[in-house]
Amino acid sequence: MNDSILIIGAGIAGINAALNAAEYGNKVYLVDDTASIGGMMARLDKTFPTNDCSICIEAPEMYEVDNHPNIEILTNTEVRKVKKKEGGFNVKLVQKARFIDPEKCTGCGACIEACPVSIPDEMDGKISGLRKLVYMPFPQAVPNVAVIDPDCRYGNMRENGACVGGCVVDCSQCRECPIALCVKACIDEGKDAVRLWQSNKNLKLDVKSIIVATGIMDAKPPTGLHGYDVADNVITYTQFERLMNAGGPTEGHIIRPSDGKPAKKIAWLQCAGRGLDHGIPYCSKVCCMVATKQTIITKEHDASVETSVFYNDLKAYGKGFWAFYQKALENGVRYVRARPYDVFEDSETKNLTIRYEGLETGKLMEEEVELLVLSTGLVPSDRNKRLAKTLKIELDKFGYFKENDPLMAPLETGVDGIYLCGGATGPIDISESVVQATAASMRAVL
Amino acid sequence: MDNLKKKYSIVNSQSSIVRVGVFVCDCGSNIAGVVDVPAVVEYSKGLPGVVFADEGKWSCSVDALADMQESIKEQNLNRVVIASCTPRTHEPLFKQTVKEAGLNPYLLEFVSIREQVSWVHMGVPEEATQKAKDLVKMGVAKAILLEEGEEIRLPVGKDCLIIGGGMAGMSAALNIADQGFNAYLVEKSDALGGILNQVLTVTHDHIKMPAANIVKAKRELVDAHPNIHVYTNAEIASVEGYIGNYKVVLNANGDQADLNISTVIVATGMRQIEPEKGAFQYGNDPRVVTQLQLEGMLKRGELSDAKDVVIINCVGSKNEERGCCSIGCHVSVKNAQILKALNKDRNVHILYRDLSMVKNEQIHLQGAKGTGVKFIRFPDSRYPEVAQGEAGLSVNVHDILLGREIEIPADLIVLTVGFTGDETMDDVRGLLKVSANSEGFFQERHIKLGPLDFPADGVSLCGCAKNPKTLKESCEEGIGAAMRTSIPMKNGFIEADGIVAEIDLSLCNSCSICWKRCPYGAIKVGEDKRPEVIKALCKGCGLCAADCPKECITIVHYTDEQLLAQVEAALEENPDKKILGFVCHWCALGGVDMAGVSRLQYPTNGRLIRVMCSARVPIKLIERAYELGAGGVLVAGCEFPTCHYITGNYACESRIKRAKKKLAKKGYDADNLWLTWCSAADGPKFANVMRDMVKELGLSK
Repeated sequence: MNDSILIIGAGIAGINAALNAAEYGNKVYLVDDTASIGGMMARLDKTFPTNDCSICIEAPEMYEVDNHPNIEILTNTEVRKVKKKEGGFNVKLVQKARFIDPEKCTGCGACIEACPVSIPDEMDGKISGLRKLVYMPFPQAVPNVAVIDPDCRYGNMRENGACVGGCVVDCSQCRECPIALCVKACIDEGKDAVRLWQSNKNLKLDVKSIIVATGIMDAKPPTGLHGYDVADNVITYTQFERLMNAGGPTEGHIIRPSDGKPAKKIAWLQCAGRGLDHGIPYCSKVCCMVATKQTIITKEHDASVETSVFYNDLKAYGKGFWAFYQKALENGVRYVRARPYDVFEDSETKNLTIRYEGLETGKLMEEEVELLVLSTGLVPSDRNKRLAKTLKIELDKFGYFKENDPLMAPLETGVDGIYLCGGATGPIDISESVVQATAASMRAVL
Repeated sequence: MDNLKKKYSIVNSQSSIVRVGVFVCDCGSNIAGVVDVPAVVEYSKGLPGVVFADEGKWSCSVDALADMQESIKEQNLNRVVIASCTPRTHEPLFKQTVKEAGLNPYLLEFVSIREQVSWVHMGVPEEATQKAKDLVKMGVAKAILLEEGEEIRLPVGKDCLIIGGGMAGMSAALNIADQGFNAYLVEKSDALGGILNQVLTVTHDHIKMPAANIVKAKRELVDAHPNIHVYTNAEIASVEGYIGNYKVVLNANGDQADLNISTVIVATGMRQIEPEKGAFQYGNDPRVVTQLQLEGMLKRGELSDAKDVVIINCVGSKNEERGCCSIGCHVSVKNAQILKALNKDRNVHILYRDLSMVKNEQIHLQGAKGTGVKFIRFPDSRYPEVAQGEAGLSVNVHDILLGREIEIPADLIVLTVGFTGDETMDDVRGLLKVSANSEGFFQERHIKLGPLDFPADGVSLCGCAKNPKTLKESCEEGIGAAMRTSIPMKNGFIEADGIVAEIDLSLCNSCSICWKRCPYGAIKVGEDKRPEVIKALCKGCGLCAADCPKECITIVHYTDEQLLAQVEAALEENPDKKILGFVCHWCALGGVDMAGVSRLQYPTNGRLIRVMCSARVPIKLIERAYELGAGGVLVAGCEFPTCHYITGNYACESRIKRAKKKLAKKGYDADNLWLTWCSAADGPKFANVMRDMVKELGLSK
């Protein structure tokens, strides 16, 4: 009997579902449409409410997945067609070309050094992290294999100084490349793993059940929201997370995008954009504790930095969360119940003035800060819509996957054999994701 | 085992001559571009015990691995040293390779000369080569002393004890039983259902269901299942043993039952905290009730005439002693709506501090506002006051939005109070030797990544025994906990790495500290007070070894003498210029690797020894490094509070304090012993510590 399980999404939920199902003895296909497993947690610096280092606790699980005999990792892979059949599903997938032979690549980085073009790293946004056109998704990436930006291969980066893309014929016509510097660097290392002519690969799987663990995304604020995209020193909470990460682009130095100087006075605006037109209509659950974590870490880096959190309702609902908030207060973090209504940039200093209504005083107030962090909340993955269609399961009105009978049969969908966990179900924190992943894996193996 | 004989005659436990093979990887130019690899290979050949050394362009490539296996067989190697990248990513691959060549994988030693040498000492090839030679020498010195190891298995049957028959416990039982395993469901009261039996309705998204229907539906499934054995009015008299091997005695409905149990799920739930008598006139006036009392009144239809209801949230919560009750906002809004639905002319006020409603719970908030429920926010520091007047009760509250006090008449006041663990919790804690937090809830193994486990194998945790939860969350946890305990029951065993504690009983004074400190319940003490390691449960952290006053515990594969051999090899030449470092595998070595990946350049003085946990580092080895004249000694572990073994870094910290005192007493400069906590993301920190040590200890020239 085929007992294999397809897990779509390899963040912390997918990883835990995979490890549990694999330990149980089932064959697992762990699919992610990015180039590495790890998901959102791999981008975090610390986790609340204990300030555990995020990658320190996630990487060992990632390596375990990588080495588990029952788990096959399929990165850069999308699910295209799912057909229900007796006792399971026929699944068609497409593995997008990564233009590197994963069997030959050792993750040595020679190609990355050779690549002449640096572009902004999606992971870091405006806080000036760069990556090459050939790159590792992040240092602890699993699989530890480089990936080439398709834009480079399709000739879209010529203007930026890319070494390929100006040929008469497309890369797919050649089986070797005399001009690409990454190809040469890899051959010089004796590996010959770069495959610019690689094409997408179709895969077929027969599985018993499917776990949807596609995760969640941070909301991108619209231009102009509290000065975002207009003023230099307004960033999102996920960008701040990268800023304070010792493994991030600034080695953990909390500096201003405008001048690279240390930010000595920082404010967080909670619920940024919530309830506005096109804003998120619901509470995203985690942002209060994320901001609390970020202020505590900021204070740990430099106790003299002034930190203020402008908020409405404090969400300290989970185990240890209240004590965590107390710790922030003890460390001198200021919490202001406020309704911010305007942000101005000083054209010279690039400082920001926040105008707000103090909710406890009713007064209109002003405060000038050097760096402004917008806690913009969480939104459903932008892949949900397509995937829901492929899987023939429903989304709720916000765009998260819908459970058929949440009270009596949690995590089960309208299709027998398809289960949900983690951010696919809604805003959620790491431990709740792990719980759901474990439960989903139980349902999936049964 | 005769340690001395083993050390000097280089004879292993099988009494065959040790034959070490050294494989040094070029990693293309990644290593060979800086380190003179042929020189390292030549050097290796001269080391004691080494009979074979080879250079590989890419040791991890399929061809090279095949060659390695060939060499192991041809040269009859019985120890292998790999000098290449980092064990954190590549050790499993090489272990598998030597295993396939017929060699016990515990006879492999991994030396990191890319992350620790070539990537971080790019401009100084000669020093880098020297360091690589030293690291290989240290690896060989340890390899000689390596012994065969094996994964240790403990059989596990298919009988699961579930303590607590609420929704979490029932969900767990059903999932256990559906696999064909036996679920023994133990409930202290006379009926299954737990705290939900006291609740009127449950809401989620747009769904509203009577709690009784939910309990009934679940209970029918449980009752009908042939593999679920329900014990009501039951109490657990005793629990002895460990995973796969529990002997449990129950008293149920007056009868005693003896059970042989393989795994345990704790689902003991929670209870409402009784408000202080007199607080908000609770206890003085029957019209002041708690939310659960209100639900009871609603169930019994006792609430016909209340016209003015005031709900006060966060009673006894969010203060110095206790945190957020997690579910009170949701409950108060739900019940306010019910009160309104029963009588739309009734005034219902909710007095609150923060409204902690997430995602779809917002629907109810909007719904409540729509039906006319009034929300008033009061300041954290000024709780409402309840007065008993002639006309009835009245509530005085400072309305933040209005900025002034207002008075609300009330003929029913509902207090939203917090919860704590069930009253049986202390007994269960004692029986299972698990821990709890200050709010009276059980403490899970890891708050993020081990939410359903206790540290000890085979004991899981779920539902409101952990923290207050919604019904849906409790059921999810029950199902999840079923998975955690089912894995060993399905496999029929648990397996542990061969890296486990070993106690030298000839030195042991039976103090029991190791038994008390082991977070995994892996040490048992017999009637003679002698400790014994249950190998399958041991995680090899060395916490017991760190705390043992007689220093008579060692860890297999990281034995004192193996570590000592590394220390001595490292400090054989120019010890005064060297920093001897002990780094934990999980975080500190991750930081070292991160410095490598980031190509952070730092001085070449460090000679690092990997240990699984910083708690493993014995004082005597630090002392030995001082005796040998080390320029500096570094111990690096995980940043607080991260520790792969829960509290190893805390144990390390106190041990290093003791070490410093001891060193000072002996006349050594204790300031040459450094301790650092380094996360796996913090390459810069490790590089800085190396730079600072070299500078402050004057090791540069």
